[in-house]
Amino acid sequence: MASNKKYWKSVEELKDSSIVETLSKNEFVQDISTDAFLGDKETLENSSTSRRDFLKYVGFTTAAASLAACEGPVIKSIPYVVKPDDIIAGVADWYATSMADGYDFANVLVKTREGRPIQIMPNKDANGTTSARVQASILSLYDEKLRLKEPTKAGEAISWTDVDKEIVAKLNTLKEANKPVVLLTGSMASPSTSKIVEEFSVVYPNVKHIIYDAVSESGAADAMLAMYGKRTLPNYHLQNAKTIVSFGADFLGDFHGGFEKAYVNGRKPETGNMSYHVQFESNMSLTGANSDKRIVVKPSEQVFALLNLYNAVTGLNISSKATAVDGDIKKLASELKKAGSKGVVLTGLNDKNAQLIAFAINKAIGSEIMDTVNTLNIRQGNDAEVAQFVADMKAGKIAGLISYNTDPVYTLSNSSDFSEGLKKLELSVALSTENNETVNASNYALPTPHFLESWGDTQFDSVTYGLVQPTIQPLFKTRQVQETLLTWSGNTTPYYDYLKAFATATILGGSSWNTALHNGFYSMGVAETNAVSGNLESVVSISEVGNQLSSSAKKATGFELNLYTKTGLGDGKQANNPWLQEFPDPITRASWDNYLTMSMADARDLGFTNPVKDNGAIDGDYAKLSVNGKEVIVPVLIQPGQAKGSVGLALGFGKTFGLKEEMQVGVNAYPLYKGGNNIQYNVTIDKVEGTHQFACTQVQKTIAGRHDILKVASLKDYNTVAPKDHDNGWNKPAYVSYDHKEVEAKTIDLWDEHNRELGHHFNLSIDLTSCTGCGACVVACHAENNVPVVGKNEVRVGRDMHWLRIDRYYSSQVETREDAKELGLGIADTYKALETEAENPEVTFQPMMCQHCNHAPCETVCPVAATTHSRQGQNHMAYNRCVGTRYCANNCPYRVRRFNWFNYANNNEFDFNMNNEYGKMVLNPDVVVRSRGVMEKCSMCIQMTQATILKAKKEGRPVDTDEFETACSSACTTGALVFGDVNNKEDKVTALAEDKRAYNVLDYLQTKPNVIYQVKVKNTNQA
Amino acid sequence: MSHYEAPIREPLVLGDKSYHDITEDIAKPIEGAANKNWYIAFYISLAAMLWGFGCIFYTVGTGIGVWGLNKNIGWAWDITNFVWWVGIGHAGTLISAVLLLFRQKWRMAINRSAEAMTIFAVFQAGLFPIIHMGRPWNAYWVLPIPNQFGSLWVNFNSPLLWDVFAISTYLSVSLVFWWTGLLPDFAMIRDRAVKPFQKKIYSLLSFGWSGRAKDWQRFEEVSLVLAGLATPLVLSVHTIVSMDFATSINPGWHSTIFPPYFVAGAIFSGFAMVQTLLGIMRKVTNLEDYITRMHIEYMNIVIILTGGIVAVAYATEFFIAWYTGSPYENYTYLSVGAATGPYAWAFWSLITFNIITPQLLWFKKIRRSFIWTFIISIAINIGMWFERFDIIAIVLSKGHLPSTWWRFEPTFVDVGIFIGTIGFFFVLFLLYARTFPVIAQAEVKTILKSSGEFYKKRSEQGIPTKPAINVASAEGTSDKNNKE
Repeated sequence: MASNKKYWKSVEELKDSSIVETLSKNEFVQDISTDAFLGDKETLENSSTSRRDFLKYVGFTTAAASLAACEGPVIKSIPYVVKPDDIIAGVADWYATSMADGYDFANVLVKTREGRPIQIMPNKDANGTTSARVQASILSLYDEKLRLKEPTKAGEAISWTDVDKEIVAKLNTLKEANKPVVLLTGSMASPSTSKIVEEFSVVYPNVKHIIYDAVSESGAADAMLAMYGKRTLPNYHLQNAKTIVSFGADFLGDFHGGFEKAYVNGRKPETGNMSYHVQFESNMSLTGANSDKRIVVKPSEQVFALLNLYNAVTGLNISSKATAVDGDIKKLASELKKAGSKGVVLTGLNDKNAQLIAFAINKAIGSEIMDTVNTLNIRQGNDAEVAQFVADMKAGKIAGLISYNTDPVYTLSNSSDFSEGLKKLELSVALSTENNETVNASNYALPTPHFLESWGDTQFDSVTYGLVQPTIQPLFKTRQVQETLLTWSGNTTPYYDYLKAFATATILGGSSWNTALHNGFYSMGVAETNAVSGNLESVVSISEVGNQLSSSAKKATGFELNLYTKTGLGDGKQANNPWLQEFPDPITRASWDNYLTMSMADARDLGFTNPVKDNGAIDGDYAKLSVNGKEVIVPVLIQPGQAKGSVGLALGFGKTFGLKEEMQVGVNAYPLYKGGNNIQYNVTIDKVEGTHQFACTQVQKTIAGRHDILKVASLKDYNTVAPKDHDNGWNKPAYVSYDHKEVEAKTIDLWDEHNRELGHHFNLSIDLTSCTGCGACVVACHAENNVPVVGKNEVRVGRDMHWLRIDRYYSSQVETREDAKELGLGIADTYKALETEAENPEVTFQPMMCQHCNHAPCETVCPVAATTHSRQGQNHMAYNRCVGTRYCANNCPYRVRRFNWFNYANNNEFDFNMNNEYGKMVLNPDVVVRSRGVMEKCSMCIQMTQATILKAKKEGRPVDTDEFETACSSACTTGALVFGDVNNKEDKVTALAEDKRAYNVLDYLQTKPNVIYQVKVKNTNQA
Repeated sequence: MSHYEAPIREPLVLGDKSYHDITEDIAKPIEGAANKNWYIAFYISLAAMLWGFGCIFYTVGTGIGVWGLNKNIGWAWDITNFVWWVGIGHAGTLISAVLLLFRQKWRMAINRSAEAMTIFAVFQAGLFPIIHMGRPWNAYWVLPIPNQFGSLWVNFNSPLLWDVFAISTYLSVSLVFWWTGLLPDFAMIRDRAVKPFQKKIYSLLSFGWSGRAKDWQRFEEVSLVLAGLATPLVLSVHTIVSMDFATSINPGWHSTIFPPYFVAGAIFSGFAMVQTLLGIMRKVTNLEDYITRMHIEYMNIVIILTGGIVAVAYATEFFIAWYTGSPYENYTYLSVGAATGPYAWAFWSLITFNIITPQLLWFKKIRRSFIWTFIISIAINIGMWFERFDIIAIVLSKGHLPSTWWRFEPTFVDVGIFIGTIGFFFVLFLLYARTFPVIAQAEVKTILKSSGEFYKKRSEQGIPTKPAINVASAEGTSDKNNKE
């Protein structure tokens, strides 16, 4: 019903006055003179705008226009239209998966944020460990420069359907013609993939599967086959070992994938159980650096020493030669015999015979450390088969090649043969995640996903079955190799279904697939370990083996080259990864390079030097290295502890194809890697012209007599001497004079202490005995805290940004001023002696990050109070308050503060991951990317501790014991880094803070750090 | 006004000068045209200054990374230059304030320029704390001003903040003191000026000085009060600058001797800079009669004294570093480690220029020689720069942890900015020499009869000076009152 009500605004309107009517028709009460002005042409022409008016208008419009243009860039944040169930913005999801890229094998956990994987941590439940490379592999996922983005044929894009059609047709043609096709892959350690390959070979009987590892451990696998009948690698349970004798086996590095966790578990001084580890080696390896006794012998001598040890242990007399270290060998033989089943001998010589001798010694002493039952399925490469294949291909006997996850053109020593053969093929298909020379030379380039985008399974040892699950939608048009092979075999089952069916049927034994996938692994139960029981004599006579071994070593003349892999780059697969390039080598602390390591004596003889330039950087000379008719020019870095007459060179560098220009560093050593043998004899070295610029993060090599920085005790002293004993104490605190009495420095204080009992108080304990220097924490910190990469030139001039670094110190000939005095050295000589490293030094590692001092020198000097202390013991850094005076860095006795000299993000001068859209996906959204001009440093992962506190709060519970973690402590394989809340008496770190081994670095300064170091204990008193 | 002075004292004003002659001599550079040498010097300085400004813009635009600093050495040339320039400033204040209180008449000929030097040096010094910041556009955050950043306030514990107060106080007091002294002299120029523009400017600058007795009385009182205020600043500014180092925990910096030692060093370097500047200026502006051998000698005596204090401080530092027996003190900037290490050249430069060279001044001949004085003053300027460089770079290059030992090499930007400040300094000084009365003529006139050569000779010859006083003072008054 319509209303008759009338609404009115004024009395006039109510009364219907005519003025309202008039006004309502006329919007502008007053006349607007535009018409009069613009309409009348005459007036317009006569009117003049004065100069002042004109300037006013111009001024106004310019100002208005420029103000309007001053809008900041708009970054749109788009909410989910349909929110995925499992993603809550701001909350990280963790997925368990496994990595197996052919060289690195690990059970890992992956942290994802808003659907992006941003960090990798070890899956500790699966006994998983991570190395620097595993940690950094997250960034390789986002390598838009190198990754293959779509299938191509002869460089032209092609659809997957066409690929399948063409290749299946071709494969069938070749099958009918019975022409051999080779499937060349790296080690995959994947049971389901092995089955798929098997089925593929059934469909195409002309296909042969050959496993090729760029860095070979074929010798050990062949020896296992010969002695124990299976081509796997033995496992070493070093945690139970009493005596470990290693001949160049870098088992804390890449030997059989590394045994650092087991090794360190066998070296806990507080349990009284500490293995005695002797390392014979030529290169200074991580393992040698951590050993109790390091005996420097060049590779050929290692062979004789190994044989002499065999003779000494067994009392037999197989062909060998006397060496300079036979005295040590004798002693060790009796040590080993005493250790019996708890002794073990390892050798890193990639030679079947050498491995057989080592196995034979282990058998002779009845070692239970070497496990030949629960063996390792990694590094399955077969050098003999590969060599045969390359020869056949060169001879044109092979018709087709399907390569997956290998780059023989780069990694084969006879890669020209391979390339030549490749051209003769009728079918060449390369399946690869990244572009490389082999992909480029093949007809079909088929992209496969990164492991973080894949399904799959792994089985690294006999115990743990691992699963691989994708953590992100594939970034590019990739297809898994398993899917591809299934398709080509005519099997239409998706790989996921295939995998699930396979695992459920053969592995899981009735237990839940979902649980296994959630955990990332399924434990298959330990097969019974028993002593070495293989029979060698039944296959080949031990004296024959010894003869072959010693006769080849006797041929050694000239320099001996020991090829090795670096902790950072390994076999070079991740050479385009800036985190790994910038990662300083734990031993040399050089980044962005490989180099010829040379002994100090040889360098003196040949005239090689490493002068320190005025800007603090190290230079080097070039050497021409001739091996087997191949020549390379390499820079020389003098390496203390290198065996005289030997040189070392790292594989995995010098890769150029497809890499960013900044990453094309170092020299490719693979051409020298003849027959996959890491030892090459008859090397000649000539000094050539030129100066090489190294990028080292540490210049001073010794500790210069400042032994309270890094305390080392022998096991005997640790067990028998009181730590604070006035004369011989191995953990003496700093003393000061107070009221003319000597008192412990920490007992006096200028200030009244805050009450630190309230709330949480964080401490980080670093066990120098357990730290092997592997550097996984360094990369973990990189990933967690968005630490920028600065490139070779900036590292060279001392501007690396690592929040966490691992200092490495060599011992000097003279360790203290008192020693120097006893030797009668003059004052200048004393300085020199303290500063100069010994020819064969002991090595110590010290992880160093912000010490979060309770009396922080940095905090008092900041004029704007940008760095302050928290009640939780963390030293905060407010980036947006910082004006960048750098006073804090100057006043930090630990020198852990890092300054943003330039803008490192979105800057073409620093074209690393923070300068492209893909690379930025790895950034941790919880940590701000710092702008130029501000100071930054370790925050003790405040974003992690706060998240833990908030999580507990939300769940209405106190924070659990040992729930607090930092990136470095989670990444630490050996448990050297322990983080926690000292106000929680149950936390592990609380006991560690009070441990008799605990000390603070530079405690005489009384900075009262919240980072505690545990004295390094070395088992040096034996033998 | 005048007082009796023994005839055996050397005269402070040479030649047969009348009051009017003094006026003429002082006004000449301002009223006359500049000579070619001035232009050459000016353009070189200007070029250096512009180059320096270019380097500063490059730094601010790109990042501190264009300097040679690194993770272990966070300061080098920037703070070296800062301390060096602040130190140079000290002589001016000492001459004008302390010597005023001690009634040293010889200061009158040099105080104006010395103070100008102070102010110009403090300008240069003040640049560095700002441009050495990573984010200089936020430099105002170091000022305790109310802000909208919440409850953010400056950190009063930080010696850098003390610097901010010390330097700004120093600059303002020095500027006021200098300007007060300039008032009668500006008025003199104003009164002589013939060009209306010039007259206008000098009228403004002279703040309406009228030359009445009341003006003079107030002038004397204010001068005395300002001298009293400025005197503690002579001590405080460099004391506080030294605390940037002394309150830190770096071995070699953490040293209680720093405040007095820095003050002595500052006066030492300041006098050396005065010698350098006046050595040139007295020649260029024909003021040899006012800045005499005796002035030079007196200043050299101050240099010997303060240089001696500095040398004793060096010896003490060296001894204490050794005496502690601490392995951390082995490499301080005055230690065997420094003398034999990679910075040995810098160490020995310091010893040579700062300890050995000034000892030559014990010889009267050298002390009274203009050319020797000039050479030695340059050496001290260099030596004092090295002192600061050594303190900063050598100490930071050998930190507590040997793993952090590093070295520093300047880039072209470091060098460019330093040269730029020298250029800027000379641009200011040269402009000053052409537009300001470079000698406090009003003050010099007060001692003409007691210390002027002409009058001294007359009194020696037994000629009574009384009538002459009348004549001269009448002349002087007319000078002030008669507008030429």
